[in-house]
Amino acid sequence: MVNRIATAAIITWFAIGAAGFALRAQAMPSVWDGVYTEEQAKRGAVLFDRECAGCHGPSGAGGGMAPALTDSAFSANYDGQTVGDLFDRNRNTMPPGKEGQLSGQQNADITAFLLHCNKFPAGTTELPTQSMTLKQIKYLADRPEPR
Amino acid sequence: MLRTLHRIVSAPAVLVVAYVLLVGVAPHVSGQSPAAFPSVSNGEWPNYNADVKGSRYSPLAQIDAANFNKLEIAWRLKTDNLGPRPEYKLEGTPLMVKGVVYATAGTRRSVVALDARTGELKWVYAMDEGRRAEIAPRKLSGRGLSYWTDGKGDDRIVFVTIGYRLVELNAKTGQVIPSFGKGGVIDLKEGVVFGKDGKQVQIPLETGEIGTHSTPLVVNDVIVVQSAMAEGLRYEFSTNNKGLVRAYDARSGKQLWRFNTMPGPGEFGHETWENGSWAYTGNTGVWTEMSADPQAGLLYLPVESPTIDVYGGNRPGNHLFSESLVCVDLKTGKRKWHFQMVHHGLWDYDATGAPLVVDAVIDGRPRKLVAQPSKQGFLYVFDRITGEPIWPIVETPVPQSDVPGEKTSPTQPFPSKPPAFSRNYIAPADVIDFTSELRAQALDNLKKFRWEQTPFVPYVIPTDTVLGTILIGNTMGGVNWPGSSFDPETATFYTQASNSNVTTGIITPEYFEKVKPEAQIKNKRIPIWESEHFGKEETFGGGRGNNPLLNGLGGLPIVRPPYGVISAIDLNTGTLKFQVPHGDTPDAVRNSPVLKGLNIPKTGQTGIVGPVVTKTLFIVGDPMVTQPPGRPRGAMLRAYDKQTGAEVGAVWMPAQQSGNPMTYMIDGRQYIIVAVGGGIYTSEYIAFALPQSELARPTTEPR
Repeated sequence: MVNRIATAAIITWFAIGAAGFALRAQAMPSVWDGVYTEEQAKRGAVLFDRECAGCHGPSGAGGGMAPALTDSAFSANYDGQTVGDLFDRNRNTMPPGKEGQLSGQQNADITAFLLHCNKFPAGTTELPTQSMTLKQIKYLADRPEPR
Repeated sequence: MLRTLHRIVSAPAVLVVAYVLLVGVAPHVSGQSPAAFPSVSNGEWPNYNADVKGSRYSPLAQIDAANFNKLEIAWRLKTDNLGPRPEYKLEGTPLMVKGVVYATAGTRRSVVALDARTGELKWVYAMDEGRRAEIAPRKLSGRGLSYWTDGKGDDRIVFVTIGYRLVELNAKTGQVIPSFGKGGVIDLKEGVVFGKDGKQVQIPLETGEIGTHSTPLVVNDVIVVQSAMAEGLRYEFSTNNKGLVRAYDARSGKQLWRFNTMPGPGEFGHETWENGSWAYTGNTGVWTEMSADPQAGLLYLPVESPTIDVYGGNRPGNHLFSESLVCVDLKTGKRKWHFQMVHHGLWDYDATGAPLVVDAVIDGRPRKLVAQPSKQGFLYVFDRITGEPIWPIVETPVPQSDVPGEKTSPTQPFPSKPPAFSRNYIAPADVIDFTSELRAQALDNLKKFRWEQTPFVPYVIPTDTVLGTILIGNTMGGVNWPGSSFDPETATFYTQASNSNVTTGIITPEYFEKVKPEAQIKNKRIPIWESEHFGKEETFGGGRGNNPLLNGLGGLPIVRPPYGVISAIDLNTGTLKFQVPHGDTPDAVRNSPVLKGLNIPKTGQTGIVGPVVTKTLFIVGDPMVTQPPGRPRGAMLRAYDKQTGAEVGAVWMPAQQSGNPMTYMIDGRQYIIVAVGGGIYTSEYIAFALPQSELARPTTEPR
């Protein structure tokens, strides 16, 4: 009996492990997979105008001291990272003087607008509002080759 | 101590922390006796720009072309915990004096003292200024510190807090100097004024928007402090604080003089503010580094733009001393001479970077020069005693504005020599030409804009046929706060410069409705802090959507490479010595599907970074991260041969250069410290040095 339970446990453990491995083996979704909606980006645009554009310029095109959020330097900063990294950077440091005061939903909406400004396609599902979930979405500057 | 500062500073929630670890340090600094005045000739780096002349030059030569690639990280300082949140924009250049590295760091602009050999923390000082810092216009760690000594052992660190307080610290202990100002602190907001109901009144001490990122300039026993206001091309208030420069006694903090960069009634230049615009207009401060000629007793002030950068309808006239280089007497603050580089500025052509105090030989005659770099690629060169241009600077007719209420200057000054060190307009030959299709598309896009071959094309209110104007030298073009450098032995000017910062000059109808004189008068010309929205949310009438200038270009810049350059100019002749691209080809260009199959040369990178110049090298890091084949994602700190511009070495950094490098030598080992950070990489200082094994060979001592 004990042996049978032990065997079952081992089989279960292997099964879970294998499933986990299979999950890991799948490519992470990326910003090219339609990870936000147009509606969300529109909400983000309103927030961006109010909270960000005064320094970063319309559509994040850049202002005086504040960098552009759409150019090759911006893209190089986040290429290979995750949308969660971008979300966290904004949540922790922006806007200056009001750091951390925007809600998760507002930050996600602004992030959606930034993805729109950087020409990533919209989809049918909104960006989630939690950093750890957003860290499952890869930020890739260039569209990956079809698998 | 806490209670004392609470009382003296009389600001709410002021909390001062000074951890003092009195670790005994008595290092050998080459040729330096403990009581001597610090100098780069001792292997030290005692000023933000190495010296008060703005050179960023050190004669050290241990690190050279042959060994640069062998540099390794000697120590590093991560700044995440110096402040309530991590910083990503560390712009500081540390000092090194008597074996100790001093720097500002972190989001609270803490001051740290580190052992120059190991990076060990000796002390840290920070002032919590509460809301005053939270709403300050110049936040984060700033550019750094200044150093004063009486040469007899009284050594002090001088710096300005985020909330615009001038502080002196004991360089050995990190404690404030009680005899300086009030308990070691001077409230720099006291004495700053703005126009209200026709009078000049004191700004509110908490909300009045003024500060500085730049370092105070310490010359002999005088501390000079600049002023910077809220910035941005979309500022909506014609009224703001008036710029000023003040000098203080380094021992006591007593104010010695004040120079109004916006001359008041009875002062020279006041009449250049037409229609009474002086009364309410503000800014026109000095936000960048200043320089001095200590022998001549002269101070050089690079002045910025007036309030509302891109629309001048509220400020008719040439309004001195906006966008001017002003020379004043160091002892009295009296104006000696000035030169206005841009009349009635509309392009954010603030004077940027320290003026360079250079000695050269021109036409066989020794000359004392001051050279002012700029965003617009011009290097304005003067006799620094008389203010006479060394080479003619010619008033030239420029295009005129059609924005209602705007009265553009009919001419602007163009230096005949030296040639521009970076693009300040887009010539047809500058337009992207990787393929004929891209070039045709770009030219087609440009046709929809007011595109003229001059740096002075006025902004427009867009119409169906003219979508904006084309600019390249403004905002982040050319040289910005990192400034330039020179070799005092050869009178060679060196700079990194952005060469591809193309912007479109647009005054949207919504913005115009807010900034036009009628609207400002109706709004009683209040400053931003009297707005009902102040501190709550910004309202902004920005458009959104695609930038029609970049349509069909696959995300590529509309200009051809180089996107960023290093330029060297021989100041003995006013001629370009070399110009080379700086920075790896950006990933977005190298991987561009539009360019697949094409052989793209090294393009350089847009961005603004400052250098250090040594005996043989010009050293500066990439402004952008890249991931080319063969190395991890990151940026390179590069060394160039000073004579030819050839790249002779490069070492990897985990993020882009965010603050200018400096160099020093201690115990026979030369170090280079550079600030890096940005994107998701939090800021740090990295100190590079050669491995000990490399130092076994004979080294070159500094002269």
